[in-house]
Amino acid sequence: MKREILAGILADAAAKRSVVLATDLGSGEARLVRPFDPEPGADAPLVAAAREAAERDASTKVELGGATVFLRVFNPPVRVVVVGAVHIGQAFARMVQLAGYDVLVVDPRRAFATPDRFEGIPLAVEWPDEALARTGIGRRTAVVTMTHDPKIDDPALAAALRSDAFYVGALGSKKTQAARRERLRAMGFGDADLARIHGPVGLPLGAVSPGEIAVAILSELVGALRRPGEPIRP
Amino acid sequence: MTNDALYHEGMVRLARAARGAGRLAAPHGSAARDNPLCGDQVHVDVRLSGGRIAELAHRTRGCVLCEAAASLLGGAAPGRTRAEVALARARLLAMLSAGEAPPEDAFADLAIFLPVRDVRSRHECVLLPFDALLDALARAEE
Repeated sequence: MKREILAGILADAAAKRSVVLATDLGSGEARLVRPFDPEPGADAPLVAAAREAAERDASTKVELGGATVFLRVFNPPVRVVVVGAVHIGQAFARMVQLAGYDVLVVDPRRAFATPDRFEGIPLAVEWPDEALARTGIGRRTAVVTMTHDPKIDDPALAAALRSDAFYVGALGSKKTQAARRERLRAMGFGDADLARIHGPVGLPLGAVSPGEIAVAILSELVGALRRPGEPIRP
Repeated sequence: MTNDALYHEGMVRLARAARGAGRLAAPHGSAARDNPLCGDQVHVDVRLSGGRIAELAHRTRGCVLCEAAASLLGGAAPGRTRAEVALARARLLAMLSAGEAPPEDAFADLAIFLPVRDVRSRHECVLLPFDALLDALARAEE
């Protein structure tokens, strides 16, 4: 691999940007393609193929303009931001890590966000909008709120709705969701934005315990990642 | 008492006004306090002149009570001495937990927090910005 190609991949990784290494298997020529932020003048069919591969998170071989090209996808890791250092969050955060994703638990309430309650889990004792502004929210980020406290949950949801997050979930009953929708509407969010919020969050499994609820949420999240736009049937 | 009942319009307006919000470039004293159960976080910067608060700025995130109290301080504290702020804090505590009347001086607006008397668990939210300011003043005098 040429040094400048490697440097490009590392730079994009540091910036949490998706990049695809397109290698012509015939000539050996390789170049980097940004699937979601292509350079002006970049070859359109190549960008489209790179984009599809990046969206599917699957490296693949394609035929382009008579050449066989291998598209190696370098996507930033999936990151789940859990807003609320609460019981369900304790189970959920560990499951997110077991699923192979990065996790961050955010809660400004120092009494809840303690390392002994969240051993081995990155914690931010911060207001969620500040934490999310600091860490960034992209296409590979999911945000799930679970404090049941509007002053903490609402800013997190607002920040998530202004981003490309692939999954936005909010714990709470149907009644809470309705009130929340109205509050977010008053902030200027429209129907399309509000429809992005999965709430009540999680697949309808009839989950009861914090662990079961965590499974239901994580399942729905994985479905949103791997089968975007498709309804998931339990 | 539900938040809706507690947060009357004047308090919400005061919170939104966010008087004194910001940072000081070269504070004489800075301090931060938080409320571990509520999530309120207050950072205060202060500059003194002739033993009085010349400038005050705060970064506050929290419930309406905390943000309103910080905004009140942003308006009422400049020009005051550390002793006057400590006295105001004591009068506030007495008003909230000992049934005493609100102060009648520069801090008379503390009367806005009278409804909080009945909700013991929220007293700390109102006191937090005062405590952060007092810590900042103590550091400024070191």
